[in-house]
Amino acid sequence: MKANAGRHFTRREFVHTTAAAATAALVLPGGLMASGTRRADVIRVGVIGCGGRGSGAIRDHCRANTDVEIVAIGDLFPDRLEQALRNLNQVAQRDEDFASKFRVTEDSVFTGFDAYQRVLEQDIDLVILATPPGFRPLHIAAAVEAGKHIFTEKPVAVDAAGVRSVLASYELALQKGLAIVAGTQRRHDLSYRAVIERIHDGAIGEITGGQVYWNQAGLWHNAPRPEWSDTEWQIRNWLYFTWLSGDHIVEQHVHNIDVANWVMGTHPIRAVGMGGRQSRTAPEFGHIYDHFAVDFEYPNGVHIMSMARQVDGTAGFVGERFFGTNGRTNAETRIERLDGTLVYEYDGDDPNAYVQEHADLVASIRAGQPINELRQVAESTLTAIMGREAAYTGAEVTWDQMLAADQDLMPPEIRFGPLEVPPVAVPGTTKLERRWLEGWA
Amino acid sequence: MRIAGVKTFDWRLVAMVWTALFAAVPVASAQTTGQGQGLADMAPYRETIPGTGVSFEMIPVPGGTVEVTGPAGTTSVEVGPLWFGATEITWDAYDIFSLSLATEPVDPAADAVARPSRPYGTPDYGWGHAGFPAMSVTLAAAEAFCEWLSLVTGHRYRLPTEAEWLHAATLAAGGLPMSAERADEIAWHAGNAGGRTHAVADREPDALGLYDLFGNVAEWVVSDDGSPVTRGGSFRSPQAEVAAGARAEQDPSWTERDPQLPSSRWWLSDGPFVGFRVVREPGPLPGTGG
Repeated sequence: MKANAGRHFTRREFVHTTAAAATAALVLPGGLMASGTRRADVIRVGVIGCGGRGSGAIRDHCRANTDVEIVAIGDLFPDRLEQALRNLNQVAQRDEDFASKFRVTEDSVFTGFDAYQRVLEQDIDLVILATPPGFRPLHIAAAVEAGKHIFTEKPVAVDAAGVRSVLASYELALQKGLAIVAGTQRRHDLSYRAVIERIHDGAIGEITGGQVYWNQAGLWHNAPRPEWSDTEWQIRNWLYFTWLSGDHIVEQHVHNIDVANWVMGTHPIRAVGMGGRQSRTAPEFGHIYDHFAVDFEYPNGVHIMSMARQVDGTAGFVGERFFGTNGRTNAETRIERLDGTLVYEYDGDDPNAYVQEHADLVASIRAGQPINELRQVAESTLTAIMGREAAYTGAEVTWDQMLAADQDLMPPEIRFGPLEVPPVAVPGTTKLERRWLEGWA
Repeated sequence: MRIAGVKTFDWRLVAMVWTALFAAVPVASAQTTGQGQGLADMAPYRETIPGTGVSFEMIPVPGGTVEVTGPAGTTSVEVGPLWFGATEITWDAYDIFSLSLATEPVDPAADAVARPSRPYGTPDYGWGHAGFPAMSVTLAAAEAFCEWLSLVTGHRYRLPTEAEWLHAATLAAGGLPMSAERADEIAWHAGNAGGRTHAVADREPDALGLYDLFGNVAEWVVSDDGSPVTRGGSFRSPQAEVAAGARAEQDPSWTERDPQLPSSRWWLSDGPFVGFRVVREPGPLPGTGG
């Protein structure tokens, strides 16, 4: 297992000091975490990656659970960390319950490339991982090594090396009895669960095919600033670099691909696909594609068609459809006969799945029956990567090829400074087995 | 581009409706009065967003007095004549603002208006885009759209106040309450909409010549205390609740599934039933040197 072994993260020393001064006013005074203050029934939580999603996960974790405390947070960038603290303090001001659970102190706020290590060194039981996906395999490995339960955002890797690392972490986490829930929140959505349970019970007969979609307009980007190095610019625009996001088919469409794997009960065996970059061609959009169309072949010759697009002014749709010998379904709310007759429609409770996933995680820890979703989300991540690679390379890519591929897209060393942008993948030229800048074009 | 599905509307018909409403019928019982002040200078017109082919129609609505019942009780409010958008603002117009699509250079001040963040997902839910009402937009986003629209067109557009909307709705309903049959003709509601929005102006126009004032998307209005309020009901409202009196205050459920903190300033993660229409105070018509 060579994943991560050669990846160095160079800490920019002044980052931590700057953050400490500026954030002091936003957090509790130090000394609160001294031994003796720990209540045995409280689950203590650290957070790595405090952008909008990480902050949202903190809020959702606290809404979902009693007797939890957020006690440490880390982010690469001091300004992002300060913004998160300001936003979270605003929530605390209007929400007493949240305020009682948000217990970050000036001793437990960290920035820089090693912030994740500092967070994991704190006296915590559970860690929320919400950085850009490229860093996830490293953070998951470190969290499992440290014996922490995990809530990890999706996807969990961007390349084959990363997925292999995560699968190894899964095995170790099983041995250690750690609970791991992934941010593929549809798995915790009661409506999806009810419909897919019925599909598995044969409500549409044998599944014969389907389609999954995430088609939408373009997303945000941050214009470069003179004080930002290349590395900082790329990480602050992480969506647009495959080493950070995995490209949008992995970063975003993994949700729908995960539903396909869930419905099918397994991962596909091969993929053929196409894609390209037609509307987001400017350098500010890095080197990712803006559209993909992939045919995933599952066992028994069942094909699921996948489409993912981020192009302004085009038809948008996010969802799934599956067809069987005796019906069809959107997997979320409805099951119909092939003539459209309604067979089943979910009308039960519909709690917020972004909150429910945190409730399910903590409940499983307290029940002594830890959920471990890491293998499932690693497989859905690899499925999405396989789709991306089918489009990038133009080749038919099998599951076994993808899983074994010598593919490691992370820069050999990550530090603030000059950093090239990898080329745009060219079907017929780009190699499945490739490195940071090698094998693209 | 004309807004898809808008039927050509005859202004003379509005005049006839006016005569019927305010000459022949005692209007006090309809909770509103209209003197028609200023209407002589106002005619329907079509506003085109410069640098695009996108346009929308504006319809004069006379002023009057309206009884507004809110949380603080009932007050009698005087409202002036206004142009009301014939339709809810469509994605065609909203995208130009939201995605900065205009092809002509515009007033730098318009360029400086903050634009909505890019949504992570599809705020139109895939129900339809061109010709469909913009939806899932916050009150702040609707207000920013009006500010931008005013700067690019040179005409001052804004959201209606709650009293202005209610006054127009009372006239539009042609007397209260609206019959179930009439509601079906002019409004998309829970009973006929199939759980989704529809292209604007696909139902019949109301007595003022406005489309979808009731149902389809509920419409942002400016309330007295600035709290976010919609009027008119939506495709999710039962038929009896798409009416002039239909009022909803934004609550946390409208942003329940926003996974980000802070929740978006611009998008309602769970508000597909919310949109808006614009109004304009009396002034010169487009193309008349104003």
